Amino acid sequence: MLHTITRIVTFIILLFSIYLFFAGHNNPGGGFIGGLMTASALLLMYLTFDMTTIKKALPFNFTHIIASGLLIAILTGVTSMLLGYPFLHQFDDYFNLPLFGEVHLATALPFDLGIYLVVVGIALLIILTIGEDDK
Amino acid sequence: MAFQILLSIVLAFIWMILQNSYTALDFIVGYFIGILILFVLRRFLRFDFYFMRVIASVKLLFLFIKELILANIDVIKIVLSPKMNIEPGIVAVPTKLKSEWELTLLGCLISLTPGTLTMDFSDDNKYLYVHAIHVPDRDKMIKQIQNTFEKAILEVTHSNAK
Repeated sequence: MLHTITRIVTFIILLFSIYLFFAGHNNPGGGFIGGLMTASALLLMYLTFDMTTIKKALPFNFTHIIASGLLIAILTGVTSMLLGYPFLHQFDDYFNLPLFGEVHLATALPFDLGIYLVVVGIALLIILTIGEDDK
Repeated sequence: MAFQILLSIVLAFIWMILQNSYTALDFIVGYFIGILILFVLRRFLRFDFYFMRVIASVKLLFLFIKELILANIDVIKIVLSPKMNIEPGIVAVPTKLKSEWELTLLGCLISLTPGTLTMDFSDDNKYLYVHAIHVPDRDKMIKQIQNTFEKAILEVTHSNAK
């Protein structure tokens, strides 16, 4: 029963976390809460199934995820420096994408993605490090 | 597989409800995000990620179009050549396919490519009798059918039979 429900609920939580991640600009949400929500969905998987199953399902190294998140956040800052603007200067504009129509894109989004990855990585790394102490 | 399709449709609807806008575009975006989540968690599912089969079906379609064009060119060459130096023949092609659907699909694909024609199946469904307009090498032709159509069909239908 727990297994069956987890298999469905995980996907719904992950979808909601992605919604929160993208809602951050105009609504409550953002990288931090989205990342925590993703981490909680993955944690639900860890709680329901045994370690080896989930290790196989999620073959991620969370330390690397933290590093790549920090790298993305720093790179968005450095890119604006290379173009002659101050560090972390935000560019934004309205683009006419095919299919989507007019979309407001800002460089705050990749910065938020960096935050998201760091939060997911740190939350899961802390929990998993505490969780397995027999190593 | 049906469960996964249902799940991704439900996820797309939840995405529409969260966005509070009910357009086809939101459905597509939600469906795409659902596919993405399914892809990340594909090892978590009990059976294979179903989108692989969609990709395999598209591959089969393109393979069919490619074979159709090549075989048509071959037939044009035979028809327009002044000498009738062809060797028609009937070849028994062994097949690994099991279900009726797969066999029917294979038979139709062979028949639809010009130059070859499926005549009959053997009683135990292990062999197809294929009539070909020009068979210089029997083994080569069997290999060709097995490596193209049979493999592609197996990818579509048996992708979860590991």
